[in-house]
Amino acid sequence: MPSSERGEPRIVARGLARSFRGRPAVLPFDLDLGPGITGLLGPNGSGKSTFLRMLVGLVRPDAGQAEVAGVPVTGDGTRARRRSTYAPGEIALYGEMRGRDHLDWLLRGREREARERARTLGGELGLPLERRVRGYSHGMKRQLLFAAAMAPRVAVRILDEASEGLDPSRRSLLLELLREDAARGTAILLSSHHLAEVDRACDTFVFLDAGRKIGVEGAAARRAARALGPLAQARASAGHVVLELAEPDPRPALAALARADDLPAPRTLAYGEPSLQELYGDLYGVEPC
Amino acid sequence: MRPALRTFLFRLAGFTILLEAMLVGAILYWPTFREHFGRLRGLVPLPVVQNLLQAVETGGLAAYLAGQHFFKGCNTLGTAAAVLFAAGAVAGEAHRGTLEIWLARPLSRRRILLERWGFGALAVVLPVFLTTLSIPWLLTYVDDRLPLRPLLLGAVHQSVFLLAFYSLTFLLSTLGRSALPIATAVLFLSIFEFAIYLVERVTHYSIFRLADIERFMRIFRTGGLETGLVTALALASLFCLGASLFAFERRVP
Repeated sequence: MPSSERGEPRIVARGLARSFRGRPAVLPFDLDLGPGITGLLGPNGSGKSTFLRMLVGLVRPDAGQAEVAGVPVTGDGTRARRRSTYAPGEIALYGEMRGRDHLDWLLRGREREARERARTLGGELGLPLERRVRGYSHGMKRQLLFAAAMAPRVAVRILDEASEGLDPSRRSLLLELLREDAARGTAILLSSHHLAEVDRACDTFVFLDAGRKIGVEGAAARRAARALGPLAQARASAGHVVLELAEPDPRPALAALARADDLPAPRTLAYGEPSLQELYGDLYGVEPC
Repeated sequence: MRPALRTFLFRLAGFTILLEAMLVGAILYWPTFREHFGRLRGLVPLPVVQNLLQAVETGGLAAYLAGQHFFKGCNTLGTAAAVLFAAGAVAGEAHRGTLEIWLARPLSRRRILLERWGFGALAVVLPVFLTTLSIPWLLTYVDDRLPLRPLLLGAVHQSVFLLAFYSLTFLLSTLGRSALPIATAVLFLSIFEFAIYLVERVTHYSIFRLADIERFMRIFRTGGLETGLVTALALASLFCLGASLFAFERRVP
């Protein structure tokens, strides 16, 4: 189910676009994301980082507008950043600072409790917070940024390559923390090249290519398609998954769905040819009346 | 302690100690200088420097201190400090890649930049005042004295002059991506300007004419600042700061 349909949109983009020296990095597109984890996917240079930076005001868009956690991203985006956190994809930290002090520095402007939570989280991640950051490995630095991004109580977290450079066990821990956070109603936009982890963690996927949004897909539809194989075609539509059966007999498909334990329980079962109203609703994204 | 505060204190202490060391040396040398003034003047080949010595002969201790503390100490070390403190302010962050985390916090860019400009400016200006304040006390060691007020007016003039240098370099840093070329270029420019000050035919084109012995002696004599010049220098600083804010608001990390 697309996350925008599971609650109020927390991240809204309308025609956001940005070019660098005449070369388009992000072409105008719209996006509405609600609570849950959304994976932002695309090859290198597809505009993922530029899009994320525009959402937190680090890069000013050439056109369009964005809203993060109910606040329009205007000017330098300070108001939007107060209601969200951002972990950049490129790691560059102040090596001369101790981990604990660096967390405090990263959380300047946040509530005092966020620093305590960040230190606790840093400890849980096994970070040597008393050591200077210059002695940290690449993965430790990544986790320090992650701890700082997860500590404040905000409605939106924007994480660029948050698990890059981490070993599998750390990645699993990180995804677990993200899932717990999303379960509390936080909207998390996560860019990553690790397709397997995104597949496990995300509720929605947004695909970018050469600055264009080429698709938005709900995880449930994709998991259903995987479970059903040739028995049916699955697609996300207006908050639910629609199955088009290959055979008139629904029983093999229902049995396959029953075996798939990573799918949410069905709320409604409707069988038969879709009505014209339903078809119209599916095609144009409006509720059938 | 916050990193910005630590850097500020380190710079403040470093620049103050260097300036004070030069000042102590100059003041302790004053009796010898006064005694051998005639012979020293004979050794100086450059006409511009001879003019400086002439000014010292006329102005006495006040002119000597204007030359040693303000014209020589503050202008040379102060310009270098202003350039070095400002060159890395933003370009240094961009070069080391920390600009993004610097800007990703929920603080406005205006506040971030003004804080950085302010800490750097204080590190340039405060040592000028602190060392100037020590002059009357140091003069007691050579059984001489000078009133503090004209010296403080000189410190104000010197500070405004250095701030203009600082703000120009700061603007370049806001626009640039690497501190080293900026620092090299502005330091080269300041050395060039100091060099042409010493050449009789072109000395009047040097910006150090704005903070030389003549200028300070005028301030000492009149007991007031050169309002027009100070205002112009302050406006130049404000313009550079405004341009820095404008550029920084739009800067991509």
